[in-house]
Amino acid sequence: MILIHCPYCEQTLPELEFAYAGEAHIARPADPSALSDEEWEKYLFIRANPRGRHNERWRHVHGCGRFFNAVRDTATDNFELTYKAGEPRK
Amino acid sequence: MSAHRIANGGRVDRAATVNFTFDGKAYRGHVGDSLASALLANGVVLMGRSFKYHRPRGLLGAGAEEPNALVSVDRGAGRFTPNLRATAVELYEGLNARSQNRWPSLQTDFGAINDRLGMFFPAGFYNKTFMWPRSFWEKLYEPAIRGMAGLGDAPADADPDVYDATYAHCDVLIVGAGPAGIDAALAASASKKKVFLLDEQDELGGGALADPLLWPWLAESLKDLAKLPNVTLLPRTTAFGYYHDNFIGAVERLTEHLPDPGHSAREKLWRIRAGEVVLAQGAIERPLVFEGNDVPGVMLASAARTYLHRFGVAVGSNVALMAVHDSGWRDVFALARAGVGVAAIIDLRETVDRALMDEARELGLRVILGSAVFGVSGRHAVKGIAVARADGALQQKIACDALLMAGGWTPSVHLWSHSLGKLDWSEEWGAYLPGTPNENVRCVGACGGKWGFGKGLNIGALPTPRDPAKIKAFVDFQNDVTAKDIALAVREGMKSVEHIKRYTTNGMATDQGKTSNLNALQLASSALDRPVQAIGLTTFRPPYTPQTFGALAGHAKDALFQPTRKSPIDPWADAHGAVFELVAQWRRARYFPKTGEDMHAAVARECLAVRENVGIFDASTLGKIEVVGPDAAEFLNRMYTNPWKQLEPGRCRYGLLLREDGFITDDGVSARMAPDRFHLTTTTGGAARVLNMMEDYLQTEWPDLNVWLTSTTEQWAVIALQGPKARDVIAPLVEGIDLSSEAFPHMAVREGSICGMPTRLFRVSFTGELGFEINVPAAYGKHVWEQVWAAGQAHGITPYGTEAMHVLRAEKGFIIVGQDTDGTVTPYDAGLDWAVGKKKPDFVGKRSLARPDIVASGRKQLVGLFTDDLGEVLVEGAQIVADPNQPVPMTMIGHVTSSYWSATLGRSIAMALVQGGFDLLGQKLYVPMAGATIGVTVVRPMFYDPEGSRLNG
Amino acid sequence: MVDLATRTAPVPAEPAEFPGVSIALGVPLARWSLRARDAKALAKAVGHKVPTKIGGTEGGMACLGPDEWLLRLPEGATISMGEGLPLSVVDISERAITLVLEGPRAIDVLQSGAPRDLSKFAVGEARRTIYETVEMVLIREGEERWAVDVWRSFAPYLREALVTAASHLR
Repeated sequence: MILIHCPYCEQTLPELEFAYAGEAHIARPADPSALSDEEWEKYLFIRANPRGRHNERWRHVHGCGRFFNAVRDTATDNFELTYKAGEPRK
Repeated sequence: MSAHRIANGGRVDRAATVNFTFDGKAYRGHVGDSLASALLANGVVLMGRSFKYHRPRGLLGAGAEEPNALVSVDRGAGRFTPNLRATAVELYEGLNARSQNRWPSLQTDFGAINDRLGMFFPAGFYNKTFMWPRSFWEKLYEPAIRGMAGLGDAPADADPDVYDATYAHCDVLIVGAGPAGIDAALAASASKKKVFLLDEQDELGGGALADPLLWPWLAESLKDLAKLPNVTLLPRTTAFGYYHDNFIGAVERLTEHLPDPGHSAREKLWRIRAGEVVLAQGAIERPLVFEGNDVPGVMLASAARTYLHRFGVAVGSNVALMAVHDSGWRDVFALARAGVGVAAIIDLRETVDRALMDEARELGLRVILGSAVFGVSGRHAVKGIAVARADGALQQKIACDALLMAGGWTPSVHLWSHSLGKLDWSEEWGAYLPGTPNENVRCVGACGGKWGFGKGLNIGALPTPRDPAKIKAFVDFQNDVTAKDIALAVREGMKSVEHIKRYTTNGMATDQGKTSNLNALQLASSALDRPVQAIGLTTFRPPYTPQTFGALAGHAKDALFQPTRKSPIDPWADAHGAVFELVAQWRRARYFPKTGEDMHAAVARECLAVRENVGIFDASTLGKIEVVGPDAAEFLNRMYTNPWKQLEPGRCRYGLLLREDGFITDDGVSARMAPDRFHLTTTTGGAARVLNMMEDYLQTEWPDLNVWLTSTTEQWAVIALQGPKARDVIAPLVEGIDLSSEAFPHMAVREGSICGMPTRLFRVSFTGELGFEINVPAAYGKHVWEQVWAAGQAHGITPYGTEAMHVLRAEKGFIIVGQDTDGTVTPYDAGLDWAVGKKKPDFVGKRSLARPDIVASGRKQLVGLFTDDLGEVLVEGAQIVADPNQPVPMTMIGHVTSSYWSATLGRSIAMALVQGGFDLLGQKLYVPMAGATIGVTVVRPMFYDPEGSRLNG
Repeated sequence: MVDLATRTAPVPAEPAEFPGVSIALGVPLARWSLRARDAKALAKAVGHKVPTKIGGTEGGMACLGPDEWLLRLPEGATISMGEGLPLSVVDISERAITLVLEGPRAIDVLQSGAPRDLSKFAVGEARRTIYETVEMVLIREGEERWAVDVWRSFAPYLREALVTAASHLR
């Protein structure tokens, strides 16, 4: 069971308090109706799925409740860092 | 006399006798014995039968690595544990153990015919033989293999034991309480650090237990450690797995060694997070590979010393040693000094350390260098050995009753490997040693390669004058893998150790190759003519030794398996004979049978009561979310498909929630309590999911909105009152609310009080009848329910459950998300166009409703079905075809999603998703079932009161 | 205030006593979930001091998240609902019940299923966390006294789990 640092609580806590929430920095388009089918498909379904460094979202669901971002190595499961939602990609 | 208890010595309490049975025969041992040592002391050397060939087997080792002596321990009903290593079973008064994998008895085992038919069971036998035809696999091969092979029997009774569990945190966790582990604990405890010291054995000490010279030090050290408040000593505790971020799983055995387990938990699961982990797991001696190395009485030299010094048991009266490593010599010297006869020391090396030679001479022991054992006589016990020089010359026979093997040492890097630490090949050890760590962990003592066992050779198999292709020289004792199996695997093209392992099953038994992995690697290396490091190493995975399911489950058993959520009204339903069903984790009343009624009769009665008088239903489990803030309406307008901004306070609206991909994910009726406050409802199973989804949008897409979400699911008990007399029932109970249709129309909400309790009273209907949903604070839900129930007696009030609720809503064509939808249904597919705000520029999922696949024709659409036979109730999930006479496999154009007997209509009704269903109204379709094909007609999914006239009572 | 005889609780009122720990149903409380961006504005609106560090408590007010507070007051207390203001006040008095664990072994009982290191949980600290699969708000009211707010329907499971853990204490 991994440990995850919550950037809001500023505590490193057991994984069981958290929930994974998919790839990070995929913003919902401001005006979806302006998007072509291909663009919308890309937003909806296409994900990076790298082996290695991955920007992803977690939610401290059984804690402060906040969604935040993390950089995790998908090969080793090691967290490089976590940062608050809204901060630029790291 | 062969194996026997010696006159003096050992750590067992000779004053305390313990009675036990093995295969029904009574024996005696002492307190401090393992089952293995006690059996040896009684002269029993045959303890098991091997997995594949059913060969007679005795002890190989004295610890966790034991592959042969697997036993079942029977502690009474439900307390039957198979596949225990006799070396790890503590003796207690009344212990009832038996051998496994033999029939009818250990001495006479019919399965041993496999041994004679060995030529039919080569490596890859399973892969090659049992391939086809498929039906043979299911009907013949698998049952036959299960009958012949396998280990102990799985217990058939429910486990009456309970199990404890905990999380724990410490600064330093030390695994293994041998000399290195104890030293590490003493060093760490000098600071204020919180230290845990674990050991799988009943007695702390590890290798020191077999070394009387260390006993004074051991006693002193343990006394010191026991006094320290920051040190926790955990004997009988196996660290079975090492997980991310220094998280260790361990199982402590609490009652396995007690004659009467009492009411204590049997085992305790420790989930430990450690700042630093110190692995002091020691090393395991390697067997040697030669013909006859599995005859009972052939065992590891270090094990013989352990039996001698720890248990006061000699493994034979006239033992021989086959060594390629110095350590075996010292073990034999210990035996000789204790008065055990030594037939010979045979070493493959031409020269050995001078000191060893001197000591052998001093003890008067016969030494044969440059030679190897190539055969063992005796089937159930060693009678003698055949020895020859490495080139086959000078063959001779030597009588002995036990043969010790000293093949070198394999550091126990199992947990290190779990932690993904790197391993480096050591030529000196002929084994892998810990390299670069992946966690905050270090290895001390033998498991770190820091222990002076002496020098030795690294070899695969001993030289033999016989044809290596015609002998059985065992590598993996438990899985019966021989040296020639590995050679065959290599010949047949396996080049990686991962492939060799799976092809031969080497290392795949319950001992996980603790004694076989390195020998197999050496053999593969020779066969492939490549260095060991080039063939790779199989990965160790948890558990280090087998653990019980009970221990791994911990508290999560019976009532604690998972929470069963109950509404505040549940006790009333229970007292009134409800039959329950689980909906997500909620226990809900399904129906309330009267005496003699089955579900069909009860549900029909409940439905009619709602249509004719009034029914009362516990809707407390519905998810509820309070949406509060100046931007509440704006937020809901973005989330739901329909418009929310113009909804007036005091009014309700049906909300349909899509995922961004356009498919329905939830629905519910919600009310505007105030300009900045909404009371949302969700489906019972969707509550947590919907709240998470809404939080996601709010926090990450629209963080600028001033609106907040609070789950109020459990704040409110919800009592649904449905039927033409609903208003009459509550009228005398309600204060502060005008219940008239004009003042309180359908789809409205009012705040007031009922039975003296504050209420949010909804006028809503999921049945098509006049209806109210009474929300009261949960603690008062049962009280209000009982008052309403009493007031309803004069009106024929009837409690109904989820089954009747389903029928009543289906009669009105209301969908249940997750039943009539399956994550691929759009609002248009479900006929809910009216709930989609066409003028809204955006809402979650809107863009997807214009995706090419969503607007394409031929999508499955929700329709009603009438069966030709009024009494025929379709099976939910049944497939629908257009032409019943087409050949199989038929083209299926849809499936039934909901199907009921409608007592109101006197016929069956069904809903179904059918390709292009909206265009098929009035058409005939077919539901082919086993034995009959059912004809149906497509209709609108609105079976009752399509005008909605009954909503006003 | 409403008649106590009409209340029901999902767990027995009788405390469970074990050597070193008792597990009891806490008294009914008034509870609110409070949400706001601006802690000062919230404090002004509801008339209570508002701690700003997650995990902190001030009187009956606990900070559970960057914009979330739990206010626990004696039953019958009332506060402003903050109508029209950019904040959220929601009455959740009956959403949860409180289990009170008291005694030197209370920490061990909670640690049996709570993955957090409770030895690092300070007196006066309050946090939402988890016991096995059940979410709870944990408040360390004293060195040996812990309050656990748990949603009603999960309370029987949690109480049973805690009692089971307590029964296994050695």
